[in-house]
Amino acid sequence: MKKWLLLTLLALAMVVMAACTANEDAGKNEGSESSGDKKSEKVLYLNNGVEPTSFDPSVAFDAVSWNPLNNLMEGLVRLDENNEPKEAIAEKIDISDDQKTYTFTLREGAKWSNGDAVTAGDFVYGWTHMLDPETASPAAFLAYGIVGAEDFNTGEGKADGIGIKAIDDKTFEVTLTDPTEAFLNIISNPSFFPVNEKAATDNAKWFAEADSFVANGPFKLASWDHDSKMVFEKNDQYWDKDNVKLDKVEWAMVNDTNTEYQMYQSDELDISSVPGEMYSKLKDSDELVNSEQAGVAFYRFNVEKEPFTNKKVRQAFAYAVDQDNIVEYVTKIGQKPAHGFVSYGFKGPDGNEFRDTVGDLIGLDKEKAKKLLEEGMKEEGWDTLPKVTLTYGTSPDNQKVAVALQDQFKEALGVEVKLQSVESSVFMAEQKELKHQLSRSSFLYDYADPVNALESFITDSSMNRTAWSNKEYDQLIADAKSEQDSEKRWTLLQDAEKLLIEEAPIVPVHFYNQLSVQKPSVSGIVRHPVGYLELKFADKE
Amino acid sequence: MVSYIIKRFLMMIATIFIIATLTFALMHSIPGSPFDSDKTSNPVIQQNLEKFYHLDDPLPVQYVSYLKAIVTFDFGPSIKKPNETVNSLLERGFPISLELGMITIIVACISGIILGTLAALRHNGLIDYFAMAIAVIGISIPNFILATVLIQVFAGQLGWLPAATWSSPKHMILPTLALATGPMAIIARLTRSSMLEVLTQDYIKMAKAKGLKPWRIVFRHALRNAMMPVVTIMGTMLASILTGTFVIEKIFAIPGMGKYFVESINNRDYPVIMGTTVFYSAFLVFMLFIVDIVYGLLDPRIKLHKKEGETS
Repeated sequence: MKKWLLLTLLALAMVVMAACTANEDAGKNEGSESSGDKKSEKVLYLNNGVEPTSFDPSVAFDAVSWNPLNNLMEGLVRLDENNEPKEAIAEKIDISDDQKTYTFTLREGAKWSNGDAVTAGDFVYGWTHMLDPETASPAAFLAYGIVGAEDFNTGEGKADGIGIKAIDDKTFEVTLTDPTEAFLNIISNPSFFPVNEKAATDNAKWFAEADSFVANGPFKLASWDHDSKMVFEKNDQYWDKDNVKLDKVEWAMVNDTNTEYQMYQSDELDISSVPGEMYSKLKDSDELVNSEQAGVAFYRFNVEKEPFTNKKVRQAFAYAVDQDNIVEYVTKIGQKPAHGFVSYGFKGPDGNEFRDTVGDLIGLDKEKAKKLLEEGMKEEGWDTLPKVTLTYGTSPDNQKVAVALQDQFKEALGVEVKLQSVESSVFMAEQKELKHQLSRSSFLYDYADPVNALESFITDSSMNRTAWSNKEYDQLIADAKSEQDSEKRWTLLQDAEKLLIEEAPIVPVHFYNQLSVQKPSVSGIVRHPVGYLELKFADKE
Repeated sequence: MVSYIIKRFLMMIATIFIIATLTFALMHSIPGSPFDSDKTSNPVIQQNLEKFYHLDDPLPVQYVSYLKAIVTFDFGPSIKKPNETVNSLLERGFPISLELGMITIIVACISGIILGTLAALRHNGLIDYFAMAIAVIGISIPNFILATVLIQVFAGQLGWLPAATWSSPKHMILPTLALATGPMAIIARLTRSSMLEVLTQDYIKMAKAKGLKPWRIVFRHALRNAMMPVVTIMGTMLASILTGTFVIEKIFAIPGMGKYFVESINNRDYPVIMGTTVFYSAFLVFMLFIVDIVYGLLDPRIKLHKKEGETS
């Protein structure tokens, strides 16, 4: 009797399972058909992690928006394979003798994906939109070197006061307040892209959907399934389309590194980031790509809180940090140790790396650290060192480094440092209010020039966050910014960096890198130390 | 019945109101603002932003407009995703979470009830041990571990199924399995224990003695009564699964609403926090309400009128 019942139930289970399998088959058929069609085309499969914040060039200031956008649009200049800004939509660039006026002549063949010509007016429109206080662009400060830009952006000036002018349809003129050596580099940033004035006046949200998006770069936006997928197609209106080899780029949005890596392994992606634990395994693989990312992880000493009010104590802590040990045994993802503040990737007028010319300014020296600590405590008359708390924003990576530092301070100085982990947003707010003694920080470059990083530590800079103020340093930076001779400027910046490390309001830990795995069939992708992913020259076998 | 439903409905509104108020108080009491980032922008721009999102208004004013937003179900634009409104995020994310949730619930219910019933009918037999072994494993392995293992095996090594994303039925298999195993195990265990209890009841013996067919006893008499505990947990289970599960959605890159719920808090994206929390809690409260009504349908002994219940 019971057997009969069991059979019924089993039969029911079978029916359910059969129903499921039927669905599976249906899915498989669809999948294989579509992959058959694509074989003749060159399609690159990438992962963007998450949905881009915005494709309005003025609004987002993050890699998830600008890595894709950099391939849909193009500004006056574009960074080449050697990270140098080269003529792009501009065919010719004339710089006045005082280096304050730039005249750009636009290419005749420069067109939008809808067939419109790219005009000087599109640049005026785009840049004005970025500087408009109503837009509240986080990137607006990049344009503050332009006459009248800061005034307009802060609501004190008018749009026609900005030093940008469309002399005619193909001539665009920019006037700067100071000679700015990095200017061409700065305007390679996506926030300086033109905006198709006609499209934008027709539809203020032109950038929000694939249908209304007008591109002027190597690719155009064919479809955008929000939060899951984007498809780029080669832009046949692009002036340099003959050099674009890919037919399509498909962007997934997978926000889990392990899943992303699995998709790479099952050939659903051509490029993937590398899960932290995998680096040691992949170290010698041909597929691993380790490229420079201009930026530095460092710790800030609050010079208003004891014991870091004393310079020697700060130096003592700085000399106790073993950068090489941290990159080799703690972070373990092939980064370079930071023995200075300015990262690799900036070549001076002499053709040498800034970092190499200045050399190592700080590194582990236990004896010196101990001696400095004793001297510092004597100066202040302390028998015991005031208690030190090291604060960091909650994340497993930050924690690993913090624990290593705690150990290093104990070993070199015999100081027991307390660790405190704080939720990231709270951490950021507290750091700005100078509530921490010793806190974790990072700096990523906005444009490729050491002054971008060094400028952070002038008095009252919002990026300072150490209460450190040094007249000599402020002067060095001010001089460097107005210096017309590039060799002299370079020396001033180097002096500034030496002074910064000597005074030790900060101690650098490691530089950043961009680590990924890439299928051997893919070539020609450029990853700039400062800048965004470049697919224009990319190819796939 | 009608008066009971009205009363429950009013209580539902009150509950949502309290949750909304608590959420408002909590989200404004934690330090940090949506505009905090490592790069500090110009104070004038900050002010412009705050003005645009009405964050410079005094808190009571913000609270009133917040309540208004809830009543009209129009939460305004997201702060971190300036192109989107909270409503559009919900409209896009919820159907996908709902789809994943429905498939999961159906799979979990059918397999859980079958496993549990089989185990109870073969109490202390091989099938029982086998079913309970599966249930114990299902309960003890967190779904994110199961998800990773499933991807590793079926996508990475065997290559049978795609690792992630949500585009075809094939893509749905792994996330459904990962998500359904836990609830399935819970349902199986509950069904088994209450089934065992029911099967020893006098009326089952009576039914057997009357010579009723076994399937009729199991389905009509035993299972129906054994379902009560399952229905009880179903309400919360449904709400939490249907409104998106952050971890599974993240691992499988499913564009559901789970991630907005979690990310909005990290981002201090006030309108999104408010929208997702209120939506989620309203949904949860509504599910509990439905469960209460289903009780009455399943078991006529449960009186929906409280007063009558007390006097009888």
